[in-house]
Formats: sequence, structure tokens, C-alpha cells
Amino acid sequence: MSPVEQPTFLDRIRARPRLRTALAAAVPVGFVTALLFIPYVLLLVHSFWRLKGGAITHELTLENYQRLFGTDLYPSTILFSAGVAIRVTLFSLLLAYPLAYLLAFKVKRHKQLMYMAVIIPLWVSYLVRAYAWKIILGQSGILNGLLMAAGVIHEPLTFLLYSRWAVILALTHIYTPFTLMPIYAVLEAIPPALKEASQDLYADRWQTFRRIVLPLSLPGVLAGSTFAFVLSMGDFLAPQLLGGNDSALMVSNLVWSLFGVAYNWPLGAAVSVIVLLLTLFLLWLANRVETAMNYGGQAVGRTGGRPDGQTVGIPGRRL
Amino acid sequence: MTTPHDTSLDLDKLTRRHETFHMPILELRGLTKRFGDFAAVDDLSLDIAAGEFLTLLGASGSGKTTTLRMIAGFEPPTSGEILMAGSPIAALPPFKRDINTVFQHYALFPHMSVRDNVSYGLRMRRVPAAEREERVTKALGMVKLEQLGARSPRQLSGGQQQRVALARALVNRPRVLLLDEPLGALDLKLRKEMQLELKHLQTHLGITFVYVTHDQEEALTMSDRIVLMRQGRIEQVGTPRDLYDRPASRYVADFIGETNLLPGTVVESAGGMATLRVGDVTLHGVSDDGLAAGSEAWLTVRPEAIDLSDGAAPPGHNAVTGTIADAVYAGSALRVYVALPGGRRLVANVPSGTVATNGATVTLAWPVAQGRCVAG
Repeated sequence: MSPVEQPTFLDRIRARPRLRTALAAAVPVGFVTALLFIPYVLLLVHSFWRLKGGAITHELTLENYQRLFGTDLYPSTILFSAGVAIRVTLFSLLLAYPLAYLLAFKVKRHKQLMYMAVIIPLWVSYLVRAYAWKIILGQSGILNGLLMAAGVIHEPLTFLLYSRWAVILALTHIYTPFTLMPIYAVLEAIPPALKEASQDLYADRWQTFRRIVLPLSLPGVLAGSTFAFVLSMGDFLAPQLLGGNDSALMVSNLVWSLFGVAYNWPLGAAVSVIVLLLTLFLLWLANRVETAMNYGGQAVGRTGGRPDGQTVGIPGRRL
Repeated sequence: MTTPHDTSLDLDKLTRRHETFHMPILELRGLTKRFGDFAAVDDLSLDIAAGEFLTLLGASGSGKTTTLRMIAGFEPPTSGEILMAGSPIAALPPFKRDINTVFQHYALFPHMSVRDNVSYGLRMRRVPAAEREERVTKALGMVKLEQLGARSPRQLSGGQQQRVALARALVNRPRVLLLDEPLGALDLKLRKEMQLELKHLQTHLGITFVYVTHDQEEALTMSDRIVLMRQGRIEQVGTPRDLYDRPASRYVADFIGETNLLPGTVVESAGGMATLRVGDVTLHGVSDDGLAAGSEAWLTVRPEAIDLSDGAAPPGHNAVTGTIADAVYAGSALRVYVALPGGRRLVANVPSGTVATNGATVTLAWPVAQGRCVAG
């Protein structure tokens, strides 16, 4: 009689797909739970606790939120931050879109190299990049030096550094590659035949851009904008280093000082929750806009195919 | 060997067939496209008659698609000229040419509905809305997709997408329609259906079709004329029957349909006939090449022209003797593979009732007029 092989422990697991999936998912799910989900819950809970005489008491209250919306400081800070983030997003787009377009369609040789040249700054420490602007914009900085050497000015300009514009400039520099990457990816994915088909159907280059390339690249634009907006909205180092007095007007710095200086964790948590909700709302909005723009996505949803929620976070993978 | 680009001769044949004279709608004059050192299309000259279904046939890399792309305007020629109804167009961008293209993978705009895809060209040409709607509806009806106008291209099958691509091009009523392997992505059955439908549409609309394919069977089925291309040049131009029955070279004989090729030496060639020495036997065949005595040539004979016999061949026939290596039943015919003494194999398609025993010695015979002697 030939020996029959006994299933091993691993064979038993392999034979049970659900168990297999559960085991494979355990580590990432555990990671996300411990480091993201639980902290968010703690944040949310803290925002409803009361601060009494500098100590957190475990009493549920809405007074943090009342104070947040009751004074002008917090809403205006959030709005100011959003204003900075919107400007950073716009400037990043203005830089990234033409650059991505050139890279995707016009550069034929050394394309990979050029792309790397744009991406490599991401490998440089954030702090270094932010500091670099201090060196460029400072009173005895490179820009002032150049302008004085050229005889354009006779005394160093002082308004360059320590203003919201320095912050916007630095953040634009830092986050433009993040904006570029999804736009480039989406442009690259547009089949050249679509542009040819458009030209074949009497559309000149501008019409082809307007009616074919631009609409098809919008998911990438949205993804890039989301990156730039969310990242600069939550940034607090660049304002700290370059913002001067204006830095106090960025919401992340406010949260930082509420937690770190004022020891008012509940209020800091409440501000964070509001900003988080605002950000989630924007992500949701971006996703909705993308779905609405995407003729197929909408119609597929209607005919009972996949629901439209397949691109949360990074839209633009659907081309 | 390549045939000279004597297109006027081919036009004569065409006009005799149609008994009307067509002015050429497109004239390619010494068209050349180089990519670095590589000549994708090499000094190609060709007249395309208005209303004809012309197929550019060739293996991949033969230059057929590059030729099409130069006509469409996507690829500027390195040298040469393209005339449309007599005026040069090689310098015009694609959007200024009265030519539309059906792309290999359809290239439908994924962010537009089927209807918007079809109306795109009319919109760009600022055709008034009322007329536009009417023409789009008609075009969709022509390809039997009236009901699907509101769909996204993504929701259509490959065959339906193909029809949308066709409607999107035809709605503009171009003078010339270019088709780049339009049926390549479809399954066999659908492809056969679409071949007939395309041919029907072309005849019905009277639009000149320039059709690119590597599928010789497709080319034979649909074309008025076939341009067989090889290494950027024209190997032969002619009607499907010309290419099948009167291949100008070994390459053409081999590419179009199935054939047997026997290498030999020309003994003599005169009066449209040639005599070849193939191994130990002397064979005769039709020839219009004026093959030089002593030169190497090929005798080509189609499998369906060959009969099996166990005795001597009747007069006016070529005959070779060999042993049956294999016989394969293929429905309507029996395919008999016969090994010749030199080791070469011939295949004959004989009636399926024929008895063929492996190892039996047989004589293969075919009328002299059915074989052709061509240069390598």
C-alpha cells in the first residue's frame, strides 16, 4: 500500500481561504488600529473632556466646541490656514501641471532622468528644504545679496522672510512634487491614440487639450490638489521657521501651542477634530467631483455594477 | 524580386473590372519614412482610386501602418508627397485633412458618451446642432447602435466599440476612410461578420477605404485591390485574384493563401511558360517574368490544384512521385502530405473520400497552367 500524505498544519490553513485572509490581514489591520484608529478615538474623546484648574477631568462637555466657535480666534485661524493651503495648492498646480505635461508628452529623451530630477527633492529632509528658504530669503540671504550686488536695492529687504508669503513659497516648493506625481501618472496613462483621434476629428491642438487631455487628467489634478492642500493645511514647521508673526495664524501651530504650551489638551483636540472633519469633507468632495466627471463611473453605478467608492484617498487610478 | 511600381497598369485592370474610370483620390509619390537609419517606408508610389477598397497587406514591420499614418497626418514623411484629389496634403496637420481614421484599439474617448464620441467631429467642424443630431442618429443607426447612445464606451463589448469607432469616423462623410487593423481585437466569428458588414458599408457609401491588415484572408475577402508590402516597399499590387493566381514572387505566393514551393533551376523561359529542373524532374509552369535560363526560381502550386494518381500523369500535367507521409481529414477535403525523394514535402487537398495509405507510393499531378514559376 502506498503511503497517503497527511495534510500538514500549513495545508490546513491553505485549505481555509477565510482564515488565510484573516491571518494575512492581521498585521496591517493591527498596525492601523494601534497607530491610527485608537489615537483618533482618543483625540475625539479628549475633545469632550473638561479642563479644570489645568487638569483634565473626565466629565463630558461641549464647552471646548463652544469656546472654539464662540471666539473669533479659532475659526479665523482655520480660515487663514485654509487660505494659505489654497494658495499653495494653486501655485503648486500652476507649476506642476505644465511640468507634468512637458514630461509626459514633450520630453522624449532622458525622460526618466528628468522625472527623477523633480522627485529627488522629496528625498531631502523636509527641514533642510525649509531651512534653505531661510538662507535664500534672510536679511543677509542669497536673494538680498544678489539684489544688492546687482544694484537693484541698497539695503536688504526685510519683508522677504517671516511672512505668510515666505510660508506659501516654501510650502509650494516642498509640495509641488506631490502635486506633480499624480498629474504625471494620469497624463502618461492617456493613450496617444486618443489625441490622434481628436486631431483626426478636426480638433486642433488647443481643442484637443481642452476636450481630451484636460478632462482626462482631472483625476490627477484632484489627487495632486488634495495632497498639496491637506499637507500644507496641516504643516507647522514651515510656518514656525519662516512665518514670523503670521505663523501663529496657522492652525497646526495653534494646536501645537494648545497642546505643548497651554496644556489645554481638550481644546487642542477639539480644534484638531474640526480640522480633521474639514479635511475629510474635502477628500469626500474631491472623490465626488471625480466620480461626477467620470461618465462611466456614474453609469456603471446605476446599472448595478461597482459602486463608486473605489477611489477613496488617491483618485485617478481609473484611466 | 519586387515588381516595378507600375500602378497605371493596375489601374487599367481595375477600370476594366468596373468599366468606369475613377480619378485617383489619393496619390502617393515616392513616399519615404525613415526612423534613424531604418526606412519604414521606402520610396512608395501608389494611386488609390476614388471609391475603391484598397488593402495594405503585410507582415509586421512591412511599413503598412506607417504608410497609413502618413496619409492620416500623424507621421510626417521624410520625403515624397501625398496628393488628395490632386492637391498636396503632406504638410497639412491631421485636423485639416478630409480623411478619418478607425484606430486599431478604437481610441474612443472614455469620458464621453457614445453619442458625444460620434458627434465630436461634427462639433469641431461647427455643424449646426440640429443637423448634427440628425447625422449622429443616422450614423448610430447605420451601425445598429441607436439604443446605446447614452452609454459610456466602457460599457460596450469589443464589437460594439468597434461600431462606435466606425460611426464616429463615417458621420463626418470623409472622402477617404483609413482603417488600421480594425478587426484585430475581435474574435473570429465576429470578425467574419464585421468583414462582410464593412464591405457592404463601403460599397453602399462609396467612400474610399484604405485598410491595413496582416491577415491575408481578410484582405482577399474584402478588397478591390491589395497592396502587398514588404520591408517598406510594394511587393505586388493587384486584385485579390491577381495576387492569388498570379503571384509575382515567391514571397507573394507564400504570403497569400497556402501553397507548395519547389526550388529549381530555369531550363528555359519563353512565351509565358517556363521549364524548371527540380531535383531529378523537369516541371513546367506559367511565367511572365522572363526568367533567365540557369537562374534559380521557384515553382508554386496550390494544394487544391494537385491530384493524386497511382499511374502516369495525363498529358499537359506536371507529375512528381513520392510516398504518403500523412493524411489529415479536414472536413471538406483530405490533406495529403507527400514526401518527395529530396526530402521536401508537398501537400495536396483532395476529395475527402480519397483513400490514402501512409507509406504508399503516389504520383502527384497538376495541370501545367496551375503552376507558376517565380523568381525568389
